[in-house]
Amino acid sequence: MGRTSLFSGWLRKSISTVMPIIVVIVVIGVFQLVNPTFLSYQGIITLIYSSAYFLVAACGLTFVIMMGSFDFSVISLLKLSAIICVLYIDKIGFMVIPIALLICVGFGFVNGLLFAKFKVPSFMVTLGISIVVEGIALYLSKGFLNIMYNKAFMAISTTFIAGLPSILYWAIGTWSICTFIAIRMPFGRRTYAIGGNSIAAGLSGINIERQRIYVFMLSGFLSGLAGILYMAQMGGGSTNIGVNMTIPLFASVVAGGTALTGGVGGPHRTLLGVIIITWIQAGLLMIGMGLNMQFVVIGLIAIVMTIATTDRRRTKIIK
Amino acid sequence: MGSKEDSIIEIKGVYKTFNGVVNAIEDISIAIRQNEIVGVVGENGAGKSTLMKVLVGVFPPDKGELYCKGEKVLFPKNPKEAARRGISIVYQEKGVIPCLKVYQFLFLGHEDKYEKMSNLNLGKMRKYAREILEEFHVNCDVDSFMYELPLSVQKMVEIAKAILNVRLEHGDNNITSVIILDEPTAPLTIEERKKLFSDILRMKKNVSFIFVSHIIPEVMEFTDRIHVLRDGRLVANFDLTKSKITEEDLFKEIVGKESSEHICKHEIKSNINEKIALSAMNLTKNGCYYDISFDLHKGECIGIFGTAGSGKSEIINTIAGVINYDSGTLMIKGRKVKAKELPYARLKRGVGYFSGEIEKNLFLNWPVTKNISILNIEKILSKFISTMNFKAEKQLAKKIIDRLRIKTDVNADCYSLSGGTKQKISVGKWLEKSPDILLLENPTIGIDVGARNDIYETILDMNKSGISIILVSDDPEEYYILCNKIFFLKEGRIQKVLSPEKFKEVMST
Amino acid sequence: MKTQNRKQNISQIVIQTLKTHPVIMILIALIVIFSIFFPKRFLTPLNFSTILKQFVTLMLFALGPSITVVMGSLDLSYIGIWMLGGILVWILTPIIGMFSILIIPILGVATGFMIGIIQVKAKIPSFILTLSLLVIYSGLTATLASGYTRHVNGYEFITMKLIPYFPSAFLWTIPLIVVAIYIMKRTSMGVYIYAIGSNEEGVRLAGINVDKYKIIAFTISGLFSGVGSIILFQHLGASVPLELNLNDMTTPLVAIVLGGTPLLGGNGGPQRTIFGALTFSVLYQGLTLSMINPYALQLLIGLLLIISIVVSSRGLKGVNVT
Repeated sequence: MGRTSLFSGWLRKSISTVMPIIVVIVVIGVFQLVNPTFLSYQGIITLIYSSAYFLVAACGLTFVIMMGSFDFSVISLLKLSAIICVLYIDKIGFMVIPIALLICVGFGFVNGLLFAKFKVPSFMVTLGISIVVEGIALYLSKGFLNIMYNKAFMAISTTFIAGLPSILYWAIGTWSICTFIAIRMPFGRRTYAIGGNSIAAGLSGINIERQRIYVFMLSGFLSGLAGILYMAQMGGGSTNIGVNMTIPLFASVVAGGTALTGGVGGPHRTLLGVIIITWIQAGLLMIGMGLNMQFVVIGLIAIVMTIATTDRRRTKIIK
Repeated sequence: MGSKEDSIIEIKGVYKTFNGVVNAIEDISIAIRQNEIVGVVGENGAGKSTLMKVLVGVFPPDKGELYCKGEKVLFPKNPKEAARRGISIVYQEKGVIPCLKVYQFLFLGHEDKYEKMSNLNLGKMRKYAREILEEFHVNCDVDSFMYELPLSVQKMVEIAKAILNVRLEHGDNNITSVIILDEPTAPLTIEERKKLFSDILRMKKNVSFIFVSHIIPEVMEFTDRIHVLRDGRLVANFDLTKSKITEEDLFKEIVGKESSEHICKHEIKSNINEKIALSAMNLTKNGCYYDISFDLHKGECIGIFGTAGSGKSEIINTIAGVINYDSGTLMIKGRKVKAKELPYARLKRGVGYFSGEIEKNLFLNWPVTKNISILNIEKILSKFISTMNFKAEKQLAKKIIDRLRIKTDVNADCYSLSGGTKQKISVGKWLEKSPDILLLENPTIGIDVGARNDIYETILDMNKSGISIILVSDDPEEYYILCNKIFFLKEGRIQKVLSPEKFKEVMST
Repeated sequence: MKTQNRKQNISQIVIQTLKTHPVIMILIALIVIFSIFFPKRFLTPLNFSTILKQFVTLMLFALGPSITVVMGSLDLSYIGIWMLGGILVWILTPIIGMFSILIIPILGVATGFMIGIIQVKAKIPSFILTLSLLVIYSGLTATLASGYTRHVNGYEFITMKLIPYFPSAFLWTIPLIVVAIYIMKRTSMGVYIYAIGSNEEGVRLAGINVDKYKIIAFTISGLFSGVGSIILFQHLGASVPLELNLNDMTTPLVAIVLGGTPLLGGNGGPQRTIFGALTFSVLYQGLTLSMINPYALQLLIGLLLIISIVVSSRGLKGVNVT
């Protein structure tokens, strides 16, 4: 009796940790049954390619959501940084990488500034910024398809080390650093604090405005990095990164267990979320569902997971 | 007490408990007669709002009887039924809908009476609204927005709405209503209060009021009878029309005497340093406080005493950086500070702010360790690229928990802790931080006597170690337990400065 | 004396209106500027007809959402209703004929009702809920269309020319706008929507069933998006795109915010969105006439959105914004 109640108590407390793991196992199991090549070497390489850059971008969004805000501009910044790389790599060489990152951090700074200083809801600020960014991306590329010919640049993502593409190491490295920042650094603690209770955070000596700006800059930086990795992997051409990609990105953050209300979760959780979402995508593709049908499924997952992770004890009124 | 015939509303022997104990009321009987203002006073958590919520049908009582004009009726089940019985309420805050026009606000919830084929008869609504406002001498345009009105007028419109609520539910304009005013003056400035009260007194002709408050002078001035609640019981009744009482009489009844015999050992005056930690000169925030000047020496503990609404809370929030001031100078450790500094900047200067409200202190979904370390983050950083050392964090939490004699696991979520423990942990954070100046606002609000004593001891310890303290509280006892010097505040101005002994004398005579 | 008084009153009213609706001044300024710079191209009936067409598009998309924004929520599903509704019409027309156009408002009402129920019961922010739904709908649209843009014939009567240079879609838009304004201004429903946007807790304390009215408000918003999409379906070429476009999604929001409805709700409404949509259309058309790079145009739209949001969010200094 006592033991069962102890167990159920533990289960309730750690449900958001256990659930994603169970889901991952179930997803892999089901698709493996449907299609035995799912876990073959080639299958795994495909999965890595489709999830690595995604993980990098999702880590940035996780920090923002942890803080109780939302960043709509991740996908647009990803696109912008990819386009900057492909357009200017032949002119200025590898200097494009710091330039692209700098521009993305700059837009993150603007996001944070408008949100923290001018008190504009973060969703709307980042929506506005993402239109501007898309505008710049279009302006630079003139709407043409640009193909990356620079082999050295492509090597960033596609060199095979120990049988696995290098983009995986980049992504895992970024993810580890983000997790380290979130859990072991005061920066992460302050981010959680603002998401958990911004009034108490202010009275605990946290400079809320500055922290908010920093987090949006971090998100911008990681979007830019994801864009570079994406371009190096794809070599341009593929333009299926539209606005609707925000939803899979968001879905992977909440599916990991980071609630939209802020204060809980973290990048370490997002790894599982990204695995769930990209593997569901890949699995759906395998059983013959097109890209569009995937959006339907992932949209549903996003809604269900948002409902599941929201902590209704804290806020009474949600608009 | 009055005879049954002339009381409009009477309750007898009302009991209410929540899951056992919290905020319970026990055996309460109150009668409200025609044309009278009845005061219900008590500390926070004395059961005032529970009683009012039973009356307006938010909670059903466990036991008790309700009489309307001598007839026994059932307790209302919702606010609409309460209005049918003649009772309506004006909430402390949050009652006003700022973006509605006055006439829309007045009829909110009763539009169906002016709606034909889902078309509101705006002309009729405006006309009737104008009549109502004229009847109660509320001076405002029915077409202006609520947020455009001064706060006192907003309150008056709210009162008119409450009366209208009763009338519309009844369909009878001559019905006598009982309007509950729940801390009506809380958001108002001193001038606005006076205006509001003169307006309420004028309305007394048609309406009876229940005036819920913990602001003693107001209650004394404007009510006919006063009921005092303490710990959920009715402890005293005064009839002001028959006998004269003093503010101190009432005060003693509200606070009670059972807890006078605790620690209260203040022999540390020798510790006071000549160095000035903080000084205020002619600090003014219009509508809240005026010309506040004082010096806080190192190791000193001063109290700013006044009734709720005297401006004491605003003063301490100004020093903490939560709100800013209009004029004057504030010097912290000899340096002039800007009016618009935020709390984090003040904390850097060594000014900590601790309020008894849990929501301002704790991250409830965090374990104890994180709650303590968030304020002392620099103490748990390891030398290598300044990461947080979890071992040190745990040790820090353990140290504080042991010192405060709290029996809890350091990894327990704060949601699961009792109120007293939560409060102790919030104080404990500051124990380790040891700022130069600590501002305390109601440090022991809502916790039991045992936990209170522990917190007082902790605060005195901090004071002994050289931390200067400014205290603001609703509990006068706290002042002579903790303070070296007490400033009397009235209507936003400092009236006199007292020693703790003198203060105790004043309070107990 | 009396007439003088009245004159003063009128000028006061005008000044007051301009103060509360700064967008009107912007609108007038834009018209004047473009008329001066492009007198031959801007002041032509053809140009005005283009502006009106643009206005109709914006207004019909923004009509429903401007009701939910007043309530403090956000409903982004309008594009989704138009897209999915359009493709359902294509599927149903061979089966049940002309009446299949009615599937769009039915879909709109169902969507709005569903959003309302989920938002109220599960308490999740409406922006992410409606955004997810929008993506789901666009995915469904593309799946149902099996990847090809589908054109439907037979509804040309909706945009049939009645008056020269005057888009008929505009004629059909007028009654919709009137109904929306009527709901917001003359019914108890409208009062409740404003009240909920202004202070939800207070409305609850006044004994009003807030949840019910929130669901109704989302449903009304869905209805307007649905009915509007009937007109838009033909107005925008009797076919729907298969891919979600960021600009389609945000320009109606620009119209709402530019019109002066604050994002936190309680104020504004459809009547203000008219000015917002008109201003945006004039600006867009003027910039198009100025032969500006079409890609730079999008950049300007984004900047416009940001500026109008920042301006409309002033005065929120004390509010805790996430």
